[in-house]
Amino acid sequence: MAMRVEARQLGYGYPGRPVGRDLELELGAGEVLCVLGPNGGGKTTLFRTLLGLLAAQAGEVRLEGQPLEALARSEVARRVGYVPQGHVAQFAFTVRDVVLMGRTAHVGLFAAPGATDREAAERAIAALGIGELAERVVTELSGGERQLTMIARALAQGARALVLDEPTASLDFGNQVRVLREIRRLAAEGYAVVFSSHDPSQAFLAASRVLLLARGGALRQGTPAEVITADNLRQVYGVEVRVAPLEGTNVCLPVL
Amino acid sequence: MTRAVLAALLLAAAPALAQREMLDAAGRYVVVPAKVERVYAAGPPASILVYAINPDKLLGWTRALRADEAAFFPDKYARLPELGRLTGRGNTANVEVLLKARPDLVVDVGATAAVFASLADRVQHQTGVPYLLLDGRFEAIPDTLRALGHALGDAAAAERLAEYCERALREVAARVAQVPPEKRPRAYYGRGPQGLQTALGGSINAQVMEFLGARNVAGAARGGLAVVSLEQVLAWDPEVIFTNDPNFYEHVWRDARWGALAAVRAKRVHLAPHLPFGWFDFPPGPNRIIGLYWAGKILYPELFPEDLRAKTAEFYKLFHHRAPSAAQLDQLLGEPGVLPR
Amino acid sequence: MIRRTALAYALATGALALLTVFAFALGRFPISALELAQLVANKLFGAAYDIAPSAETVVLQVRGPRILAALLVGAALAAAGTAYQGMFRNPLVSPDILGVSAGAALGAVLGIFFSQSALVIQLGAFAGGLAAVGLVYAVGSNVRRHDPILSLILAGIVLGTLLGAMIALLKYLADPYNQLPAITYWLLGSLAAVSPGDLALAAPFALAGLVPLYLLRWRMNLLSLSDDEARALGVPVARLRIAVVCAATLMTAAAVAISGIIGWVGLLIPHAARMLIGPEFSRLLPLSMVLGAAFLLAVDTLARTVAPIEIPPGVLTALIGTPFFLWLFVTARRAWQ
Repeated sequence: MAMRVEARQLGYGYPGRPVGRDLELELGAGEVLCVLGPNGGGKTTLFRTLLGLLAAQAGEVRLEGQPLEALARSEVARRVGYVPQGHVAQFAFTVRDVVLMGRTAHVGLFAAPGATDREAAERAIAALGIGELAERVVTELSGGERQLTMIARALAQGARALVLDEPTASLDFGNQVRVLREIRRLAAEGYAVVFSSHDPSQAFLAASRVLLLARGGALRQGTPAEVITADNLRQVYGVEVRVAPLEGTNVCLPVL
Repeated sequence: MTRAVLAALLLAAAPALAQREMLDAAGRYVVVPAKVERVYAAGPPASILVYAINPDKLLGWTRALRADEAAFFPDKYARLPELGRLTGRGNTANVEVLLKARPDLVVDVGATAAVFASLADRVQHQTGVPYLLLDGRFEAIPDTLRALGHALGDAAAAERLAEYCERALREVAARVAQVPPEKRPRAYYGRGPQGLQTALGGSINAQVMEFLGARNVAGAARGGLAVVSLEQVLAWDPEVIFTNDPNFYEHVWRDARWGALAAVRAKRVHLAPHLPFGWFDFPPGPNRIIGLYWAGKILYPELFPEDLRAKTAEFYKLFHHRAPSAAQLDQLLGEPGVLPR
Repeated sequence: MIRRTALAYALATGALALLTVFAFALGRFPISALELAQLVANKLFGAAYDIAPSAETVVLQVRGPRILAALLVGAALAAAGTAYQGMFRNPLVSPDILGVSAGAALGAVLGIFFSQSALVIQLGAFAGGLAAVGLVYAVGSNVRRHDPILSLILAGIVLGTLLGAMIALLKYLADPYNQLPAITYWLLGSLAAVSPGDLALAAPFALAGLVPLYLLRWRMNLLSLSDDEARALGVPVARLRIAVVCAATLMTAAAVAISGIIGWVGLLIPHAARMLIGPEFSRLLPLSMVLGAAFLLAVDTLARTVAPIEIPPGVLTALIGTPFFLWLFVTARRAWQ
C-alpha cells in the first residue's frame, strides 16, 4: 500500500480556538510538502492534527486511505514518523538508544527490543550516515547531529511518511544543508515528507509542494513557484521580497 | 520605751511575716504565701504528690482522668478539671489557663537542672505566682514530700506519707542487700507494641528494676530510652521480662522468635499494672513505691511474702484516699501477666 | 559501552552477594563462623551438625527476615526513586514526592495513637500510603489547566504538608509517656522489628509493584520524552504514567509499612546508578535495584551491630550516602545533563 497522507476539509485548532479551516491536502510517496507561515500561524497545530496528537475540529485526516481516528496509536506510529521542533536533549541517552526508541510501536508491552528491532535501528542509523555517532551521547552532539538522530528515530519506526517540525531551526548553515539533503534523499527513496520552515528558499530547494499559512487561516497551496511570490509573501509576512530564477530553480531574497 | 513599742508592733505584724522563704530543689529561693489553698501542679508527678498530701488543694489534673482511672478516686476529685502540663514532654498548658485558675502556688516535681530552673523563673516572673521546683528522683521522694507538706502547710499529712515511703525504701533495700550478686536476676524492660524499646542504665524507666538490684541487661549503656533489636535481646538472654504494653504481652507468647528466650519459656514475662498511675516507670512519682513490692515479688518471691492485695489496698488508701474494692484489686492484680502464674 | 555495563553489573551483584554473606555472619548475638557454616550445611546439604537452637533461631528467624527485608526495601525504594526521577524528568525527586510516606506515617501514627497491635499499625501504614497517593492523583489529574506532571508534584507537596501537620497534631495530643515514644521511634524508621510474618505480608505487595515495573523497564524510557513525542511513537502516555505510579506506590507503601521512614535511598541510589551506567532505563533499573538493596543492607547491618542500641537507618543513609554520592559526582564522567 503506497503511502498517502490526505486531509479532507480539515478544520484544526484548540477547543474554543479554531486555527484553520477547510484544508485539503494530498501527499503521496516521494512528495515533499513545505509548510510556510509566520509564528503563531498554526504550523505546529496543523502538524499535531495530522499526527493525531490533536483531535480534528472538522473534516478528517487519512493515512493510506484509512481515517486517522480509526487507527490505534501504535498503528499511526508505524505509518507516520514525527520529528519535533527544537529537541533539547535532557537525558544522556546514546544515539543508538534514541533511535531504538523509535521501535516502540513494534515492541510488545512488557518486552524489550529484539534482534529485528535492533537491525531496523541500525539500518536507520546507516541510512542517515551517523554510524560513527552511534555510541555517542546525544547531549554531546551538535544540533545538526541531534536532528539527524531524530530523523533516524522516525525512520526506525518503519514509517513511510515523515512530519518534521522546523527541522533546520537553530542549526548552523552546514547542518541546515545536511538536513535538507536528507529530506531530498528520503523523498527520492519514496517517503512522503512534510516539513515546515521559516525560509522560503528551502521550499524551492527541497519541496515539490508548498502550503502557505497565514494568521486567520487563509491558505495557499501549490508548487513552490506558484505559491512563493512577492505578493503572497507580502500579504503573509508583511515584508518585500524578490523571487528570482537561479540555475534551474528559484531563490527568494528579502528586499531590505 | 520606743524599743518596747517597736517590739509590740513587730509582734503584731508577726502573722503577716509568716510568709516563708523556701529553698527549692533547684537552688531557688521561693517566697511561699502563709496560707496555700490553691495549688497548680505543673506535671503528673506533682499532681500525684499534691493530691496525696491534701487533695482539696489540688486545682486540677494535668490530663483529664479516663473512666477506668477515675474509678480509683473519690468522685469529687476524679472530676477535677484538666489544666494541662507546664513542663516535660508535651507541654500543653497555657499560661492564661494557669492565671485563670488563680493558684497560690505552682508545684513541679521532676528534673531540677538549670533549664527547668530557668523555666520556673520565667513562669514565676510572668504570672507572679510562686513556683516551687522539687526533686522527682526516687530516693528523694520522702524529702520532697516533706518539703511540699511544709509549703502547703500540711506538714503532718506529708510526714505520714514520707515516713511510709522511707520505711518502704529502707525495707526493700534491706531485703535486696541480702541477695548475693549472682542471685540477682537479669531483667529486660520492653516497652511499646513490639517490646523493643528499652530503658538504659540509670534511666527513670529502669529505676524500679535497678533499685531492686536486678541486673538491667541494657544497663551497660547509660541514658534514657532506646530501641534494640530482637537479636540483641536474645544475646542478652534475660531471666525476667517486664513490659508496659498489653499488645506486646499478648504477642510475646505467639512469636516463635521471642519463644527462644528462656524467660518466655519459663513464663517469666510480666505486665506492669497501670491504674490509675503506672507502677513501673511513668509517671515518675511515688506510684512506683507499690511497684517496688510488685516487682520485688516477681524477682525474689521468698523475700517478698506479703499479700500484695493488702499492700496495694494500704498504699491506695494512703495515696489515693480511697481503698480499692475487691473487684478493683482483681482488675489490678488479676490481669494476665501481672503476677507470676 | 556493553563492557562497561557488564562490569558495573558484575561489581554490583558481587558486592551484594558479599554483603549478604557478611550480614548473616555479623550481629550482636555471638555466632562463630564455624557454627554458621555448619548451619548452612545442615539446611542446604542435609548435614546433621549439632547447633544450639538459639543460634539457629537467630540466624534463620531474626537475621534472615531482617536481611531479606533490607534487600526488599532497598530495592523497592531505589526502583521507585528511579522510576519517578525518569517520569518526572527531575533528578531531585524521591519516592515520597506523591505523599506515600506522609500517608503511611499518618496511618501508622493513628494506629499507635489508638494503641493498636503491631499488625494493625502496619496495615494502617500501608493503607495510608495508598490512600494518600490515590488522593494526590485524583486531585492532580483533575486540574486541567496545568502540565500534568507539575499538577501531580504540586498536589503531592500540598497533601504531604497537610498530612505532616496532622501527624504533628497527633504527636502533640499523644500521651507523652506511652504513645509519643512509640510514634517517635516509628517515624525514625527501623528494621529491628521485622518478623517473618511481616515479610510474608509485605513481600507480595512489594513484588506486585516491582515485577510490573521491571517488565516495563524499556518502555519507561519513553516517559523521558515530551508527551507529544511519546504519543507519536505510539505510547499511551497517561496510562503508562498511572501504571508506573501504581507500581511505585505499592512498592513504597509496602516498604514503609515494615520499615518506617528511611530516606535518601530513593533519592541517592538512582543518581549513583545513573552515573555508573547512564539513563537508559532498561539498564538502569536493575542496577538501581541491586545498588539499593546492597546499600540498605550495608546500612542496616551497621545499624544493628555497631552498638547495643539501634541506630536509626535514616540517619546512617544520610551520613554514609552523602559523602559517597559527592565522591561519585566528582569522579563520574557522564552527568544527568
